[in-house]
Amino acid sequence: MTTALTSSLAKTSARTATRRRRPEAFTVFSVIGVTAFMIVCLVPFWMIVSGSFTDEQTLATTGYSVVPRPFSTAAYDLIFTGPTLLSAYAASVFITLVGTALALACTSGLSWVIARRLPYISRPLSVFAYIPMLFSGGLVPLYLLVTQYLKLQNSYFAVILPLLVAPFLVFIQVSAFRQLPEEILDSARVDGAGEMQIFFRIGLPLSKPILAVVGLFYAVHYWNEWFTALLFMSDIHKYPLPLLLQNLISNVSFSQMLPTAAEQSTPVYQLRLALTVVTIGPILLAYPFAQRYFVKGITLGATKG
Amino acid sequence: MSDRTRDRRRATLRGNLWLAVLALPAVAFFLVFSYAPMAGLVVAFKEFDISKGIFGSAWNGLDNFRYFFSSGDAQRILVNTLLLNVLFLAATLAAGVTLAIMLNELRGRYFKRVAQSTIFFPYFVSPVVIAIMLQVLLSGPAGSGGAVNDALAGFGLPTVSWYTEPGPWPWILTVVKVWQLGGYLSVIFLAAITSIPEDVYEAGQIDGASRAQMALRITLPLLKPTAAVLLVLGVGRIFYGDFGTIYAIVGDNGTLFPTTDVIDTYVFRSLRQIGDFGTTAAIGLFQSVVGFVLVATAVLIQRKYSKETSLL
Repeated sequence: MTTALTSSLAKTSARTATRRRRPEAFTVFSVIGVTAFMIVCLVPFWMIVSGSFTDEQTLATTGYSVVPRPFSTAAYDLIFTGPTLLSAYAASVFITLVGTALALACTSGLSWVIARRLPYISRPLSVFAYIPMLFSGGLVPLYLLVTQYLKLQNSYFAVILPLLVAPFLVFIQVSAFRQLPEEILDSARVDGAGEMQIFFRIGLPLSKPILAVVGLFYAVHYWNEWFTALLFMSDIHKYPLPLLLQNLISNVSFSQMLPTAAEQSTPVYQLRLALTVVTIGPILLAYPFAQRYFVKGITLGATKG
Repeated sequence: MSDRTRDRRRATLRGNLWLAVLALPAVAFFLVFSYAPMAGLVVAFKEFDISKGIFGSAWNGLDNFRYFFSSGDAQRILVNTLLLNVLFLAATLAAGVTLAIMLNELRGRYFKRVAQSTIFFPYFVSPVVIAIMLQVLLSGPAGSGGAVNDALAGFGLPTVSWYTEPGPWPWILTVVKVWQLGGYLSVIFLAAITSIPEDVYEAGQIDGASRAQMALRITLPLLKPTAAVLLVLGVGRIFYGDFGTIYAIVGDNGTLFPTTDVIDTYVFRSLRQIGDFGTTAAIGLFQSVVGFVLVATAVLIQRKYSKETSLL
C-alpha cells in the first residue's frame, strides 16, 4: 500500500520533472528576483549583527565587513552589566506580556459577542468598534486625557492602555469565531451549558489558532511600541527598549545611562548596534515558529471581514 | 405553553445580557480612548489653558485654524503628506504585486516558504530599528560615510552627506516603505493568486502560453480587484502620514523637514516642543475631518466595487 503510493508519487514527480526539465526564462527570472529581495531584506540585519561585534575603532576606520574582525563583545558586556539597559528590557517584557494578555482578553470578549449575532447587541457593537477606524480624536485630546485626567505619566499602563483594542484585529477574530460550527454550540446548550461556559469551555479552546494570530500581532505591536512611550514616559529608568534605542539615535547624553563611570571611551556606536540586536532578538527567535500564524492572519483579514 | 415560550425568551435575553458582559472591557476602552478624545477635540476652538482644563478654557472661534493656515508651514506639510503617501502607495503596491507573482513562480515548496517568511519579516521590525539600519547604511560611526557611501566611493562616484541633504529623502523613505511592506503585501496578493481557479491556467497552457504570458495575461488582470481594494483604502488613509517610521528616521533633524515633514510629525513636534495645544488640536481636527471624508468615500467605493473581497 505504502510502496504503491510512493511509487505512484515518484512516477508523477518524474513526469512533472520531464515536463519541467527546462525551466522557463520567467521562472529563472522570478527565482533571481525573489532571491535578490531576500538578500535586500537580510543584509541590514547582518550589518547590524556584525557591526555590534566589531571593535568600535575598527568600525570607524575601515567601515563594515561581512565577518566581524576584530571580534569584540564590549558592547554586550556593557548592556548586560548596566542597570538601565536591563530595566529597559524588563519594562518591555512587562508591557508586552501584560499588554498582550489584556488586549487578547478584551478583544476576544468583544469579538465573541459580535460574532454571536445577538439581536439588538451585535450589530450596534460592531458599528461602535468600526467608527474609531474612520475617525479619531488625534494626538492632543489623547495626550490631555492620559496626562491630565488619567494621570498615567511614567506608568507602563500609559503605553498599554491606548493600544488595548485594535478594531482591525477585532474583525479578524469575529470572522474566525463565526466559522465555528453552530452545532457544537447548540449541543452544549442542550447539555445545559450557560453562555459563559460556552465561551470559556468551547469557544476559546476551539479558537486557539486565531488567538495565536491575534496575540502575536498584539505582542509584536507592544514590543515595538515607542511612540506612546515617547509621549508619556519621562523617567529614563522606565523607558522600554525601543524608546531607549530612539534616545541613543537622537544622541541625548549617554552619561546617565552608562553603567560604569566612563573608564575609557565608551563604544557608543557599537553599543547602539548591540542594543538593536537585543531589541529584535526575541522577535527574530520567535519568528520561525510564529510566521505561519501571521501569514494565516493577514490572509484571513484580507479575504474575509 | 405561552408561559413557557415567554420564560424561554426571558432566559435567552438574560443569557444575552450575560454574554454582553464579555464585551464590557472593550466597550469601556473605546469609550475612554476613542470616543472621549473625539469630544476633546473642542480644544481646537479654544484658547487652551492647562490650569483651566479642556472645558474651562475660553473659546476663540477659528483663531487656531487661521493661525495654522496663515503660517508658512501649512502648505509644506500638506504637500509633503500627499506626495509621500502617493509615492509610498504606488511603490509598495507595485512591489507587492511583483513579488507575489514571482513567489508564485517558485516551485520548490521549501524555498517558497522560506522566501515568503524572509521578505515578510521586515514588517515586524520596529521603526526605531529601521532608523538605526539607515544610519548604518547612510552615515557610519564617527563621521565616516556609511556603507552606501563606501560603495559609491568604490565605484569612483561622489559621496553624499545624506543627513544634510533633503532632496533624496522622499525616495529614501519610499525604499524604506517598500522594504518594510513589500513582503507583507506580497502575502496578501499571493493569497489572492492562490484563489484563482487552476483551470484558467490549464486553459492557458493548452493554448501554448508561456509562464511569463500567463503571469501577465492571467494573473495580473485577476489581481486587479485586490489591488483596487488596497489602493482605495490606501487613498483613504492618504492624509495620515506614517508617523512612526518618518519620525524615528528623521526625528528633529530640521535640515530634512522641507521634504519629510508631514502632518503627523508636525503635530507631534508642536505639541511636544511648543506645547501649543489649541493649534495642534486644530490641525488634528482638520486632518481627522478630511481623513474621515476620504476614508468614508474610499470604503463606499470599495463596497460598491467588490462585494465579496471586503477588506474591512
